[in-house]
Amino acid sequence: MRNATTSILTGLALLTGAQAIAASDIPAHPSGIEYEELVFEPPVASEFRHELSSGVPVFMAPSHEFPLVTIRFSFKGGEYMEPEGKAGLAGLTGQLMRSGGNSAFGPNELDEEFDFLAADVSASVGGTTSSASINCLTSNFDEAYGLFVDMMKTPRFDEKRLGVLKSQILEGLKTRNDDGLQIAIREMGFLMWGMEYFEGRVSTKQSIESITTDDIRALHDRIFHPGNLMISVTGDFDEQEMLAVLEKTVAGWSMGELAPDVPQPTHVFEPGVYYYEKEQPQVQVLIGHRGIERDNPDAVSVEIMNDILGGSGFTSRITNSVRTREGLAYTAGSVFQNRVEYPGIFMSYFFTKTPTTAFATKLVFDEFETIQKEMASTDEIEIMQNSAIETFPRTFESKAGMLGIFMSDERTGRPEGHWQSYRDRVRGVTQEDVQRVANEYLHPEDAVILVVGPWEEIKAGNAASEADPNRIVTMDAFFGGNATELPQRDAETMKPVQQTVKKD
Amino acid sequence: MRKSLAVAGMMLATGTSAFGQQVEPIEYTLDNGMKFLLLPRDEQPNIITAGWISPVGSVNERPGITGVSHLLEHLLFKGTDAIGTSDPELDEQYREQLTEIREKMRAYTLDVQYDRMMKGEIDNPWDPANDTDELRAMRAEMTAIQDKQAEITIKNEFDSIYTSNGASGMNAGTSNDFTVFYINIPSNKLELWAWMESDRLDNPSMRELDAERFVVIEERRQRLEATATGKLDEQFDSMFWVASPYGWPVIGWMSDLMAYTEDEIYQYFETYYQPANLTGVIVGDFDPAEAEQVIESYFGRLENKRAAPAPMVTHTVPLLGEVRFTGECDCQDQVEVRYRSVPFGHPDEAVFDVMADLLNGRTGRLYKSLVEEKEIATRARASNQSNHFAGSFSFSGVPKGRAELVDLEAAWYDELERLKTEPVGERELQKIKNQKAADTFRGLEDNSSLFFQLAITEAFGGYEYLNEMPKRVQAVTSEDIMRVANKYFNEHNRAVALYTRKGGVKPLLTLEDVKASLPEDMAGMLMPQIEMQLEQMSSLGLEELKSGLEEMKSMDGQYPPQLATAMEYMKQQVELRIQELESAGESNATEGDDQ
Repeated sequence: MRNATTSILTGLALLTGAQAIAASDIPAHPSGIEYEELVFEPPVASEFRHELSSGVPVFMAPSHEFPLVTIRFSFKGGEYMEPEGKAGLAGLTGQLMRSGGNSAFGPNELDEEFDFLAADVSASVGGTTSSASINCLTSNFDEAYGLFVDMMKTPRFDEKRLGVLKSQILEGLKTRNDDGLQIAIREMGFLMWGMEYFEGRVSTKQSIESITTDDIRALHDRIFHPGNLMISVTGDFDEQEMLAVLEKTVAGWSMGELAPDVPQPTHVFEPGVYYYEKEQPQVQVLIGHRGIERDNPDAVSVEIMNDILGGSGFTSRITNSVRTREGLAYTAGSVFQNRVEYPGIFMSYFFTKTPTTAFATKLVFDEFETIQKEMASTDEIEIMQNSAIETFPRTFESKAGMLGIFMSDERTGRPEGHWQSYRDRVRGVTQEDVQRVANEYLHPEDAVILVVGPWEEIKAGNAASEADPNRIVTMDAFFGGNATELPQRDAETMKPVQQTVKKD
Repeated sequence: MRKSLAVAGMMLATGTSAFGQQVEPIEYTLDNGMKFLLLPRDEQPNIITAGWISPVGSVNERPGITGVSHLLEHLLFKGTDAIGTSDPELDEQYREQLTEIREKMRAYTLDVQYDRMMKGEIDNPWDPANDTDELRAMRAEMTAIQDKQAEITIKNEFDSIYTSNGASGMNAGTSNDFTVFYINIPSNKLELWAWMESDRLDNPSMRELDAERFVVIEERRQRLEATATGKLDEQFDSMFWVASPYGWPVIGWMSDLMAYTEDEIYQYFETYYQPANLTGVIVGDFDPAEAEQVIESYFGRLENKRAAPAPMVTHTVPLLGEVRFTGECDCQDQVEVRYRSVPFGHPDEAVFDVMADLLNGRTGRLYKSLVEEKEIATRARASNQSNHFAGSFSFSGVPKGRAELVDLEAAWYDELERLKTEPVGERELQKIKNQKAADTFRGLEDNSSLFFQLAITEAFGGYEYLNEMPKRVQAVTSEDIMRVANKYFNEHNRAVALYTRKGGVKPLLTLEDVKASLPEDMAGMLMPQIEMQLEQMSSLGLEELKSGLEEMKSMDGQYPPQLATAMEYMKQQVELRIQELESAGESNATEGDDQ
């Protein structure tokens, strides 16, 4: 038995005679430990980049640890291309592409083939990019890959499978008011982006029911063609052989019209307090406004500022005050969701019991004020700089992840040398920068405060349970006590319904 | 393509296979009994995943201290005598003062507040909103001490030291059976890791205990109470496990979370976190000889202060009858049927795993039968969970359209009957084995995935399981599946949970539904008849309708099955007409009274 096995994961060194560090050499505090320098140079995309004769870029990074190979076809195009009234088309297109058969096999037969070959195959149409990928054993690569390419280029889009998928989605729509966080995220999307723009839009019973295989085929044909394509390959393969395989795949695949650029959002949001009534023992709170573009020259300073504010777990201020010090929430923090084509969203978030909603909100607003009015200490900034610099190699840790970055960078025109200069730019962030970007990009006075929960109890605050008078806060502390009730929505249609929530 | 001989062989073989992958870490045990598994691997350069595990979880608790394993896990991030405070002596004083006031509040609550609860005056004795003036004053005193202590606390220093040194993903997890602490660090920071981890194992401060209880309570709300099915799931678990400690939630019952004393927590810590009870695991880009030196120096300092913890004693009793649990929530209608299976490492575990895979996925039996053919489910799946000391196997499903939970339940029993009586086909079984074999590789591609597999299997008895289990899976036969299905699954030892949407109503049947339910040749003939009868109905009186309905009900089960929907529809329309007439009568009567 032993002879028939290969030991790929074996400890290599023998453990003999290692000398322990003497107890007296153990420093009293970890700041006394000295480290060997770790040299890391970020990989350069061009060293992994190839091009097919048709101009399709191919990124390859082989490794022979396991007999598996992964090929990812990434396409420009996504949800933003859904026609009006067809919200949900993107998601369905990806799902039906995967599960609706190919030109050679019906859906069941194709699934059986993939499963028997133990191939992991996926297809998806995302927000702005789409993909089809396969991970399979090298031993049956030819067979599995052939079936996969047929599926990607000429999916069957079986009607019966569409029926099954639609019924699953329609059943899922009914659950959209069950979970408070789901409500909060959806309503925040509506407030920030509007109900029409693809970032805020959600599917409805009508939009899903209206989707036909013709709609799906049309979207597929606009996205999945070589004009929108980039390819990445990782795992156990030979680069020259792989290039020949891919050349064959793309040859004769007709080039469609290029996917359009992502449209700009036009919705303007109204700052203020908003609430969505729901009877539940914990309240979801989102505080947000529009943020920055990815390539904003201040992006690195904003990153450090937000790490200090609420983006870096326990070490950040919001987490420390809301969670660690006051014990008001398990999850609390803040994030800048940067977008390439337009400013994304800045958002702070926490979940707390009903009466302490106002108190926790005040703590977050106090942190906004502090980081705007007072300069952060050099120590605090240095911790975040060190973290960004020392964790930098992890960005490229997995080969698949690294190639994903290269593809995204090329597609979105990320400035040349971005990664090479990243650590220097982080190191260059000053106390003044942090305070300046906090004032320039945080706008608490123009934010939306969205809460989901029982409003009357939320509004009243924590007077009944707080022993320290200085910690008593009600929702009157924000926007002059004004608040807007959001309509209860029918889970399936998203249309406002009559208020049916009981109030005591 | 490069071929791997071992794997190519596996794909062709049926039954026995030359399964090749071996995980062979360097094993190393310190004099104090702490064991280490070291797995150097340079596929992810400059990175290490490191951590340690204790085989302690909620199964080691008892009523009154449920959730203490998890709270303790939180408290181990609160620093030590050296980390987290600028003035250790003053900090010590504050901690003593806090212990004193906490004990006072606890005694008062267990006396006065519990008494008030039992008299029905308050619902929750621990909720600050129910404080008496006396208790409120004690709480204010506690807050004042905490505020003073905060002035000398270096906020989250344990985390910030790691953060500023490039560590990421610092976390821990508590389960029924184990508690694990882990982090990703740059390759040159192994000594820092050893410093930090051995320090917190040596002298944890458990600072900020009182605030952390409330954090855990918020975690309980977030994970469980404010989710669609969390509270019902928790109760179903407790019914299913009867005597076994798997019956209480890992996060603990709400009443217990506020009640543990500091002493109880320390005792728990000293018992289960002594070095002889721990395993350290390091995976990634490092030199094992250097690692050994660091381990020896830092973890070698730890001492065993107590006798080895007692093993888990209370095993569950078998279910002697069917358990049925019905509940309502803001959730999809859903059903679960659950059976006792086997613990980790049991010879039948692999059979349960293969059986679950036969049922799952788009080519699995449940999708084919319940979703595609019968069209009664939108979702259906099976799973086996083999915990350290006991296991469970369950079927769960969400109905489609007008299908009832009992329809899904019945369809599951049909599938079960197939498993018990028909041998699984050769190709179907080989398909599962092929997938399992490939998934084994997929699970070894990443440092942190390797870390968890090594740590958890070692906590459960030995990492060798990772090499043994794939062989057992490849050896499962169709006879094994029939044997196991017959042995473990029967109506007397199952627990069934049926959840329905709170205030939910089934949509009414429509004529379209009726038409769709009839075979085409019948539809042409019957539809006009049905429409005619509906027309006639409008001229009937209340009494005639009621006796008609009774007559229809008395014939339930006697119609041919293809007419079932049509008959349901007729009954529905008669009932609606009766309601209409009755409510019209009532509103007339009300008007009459007013006049």
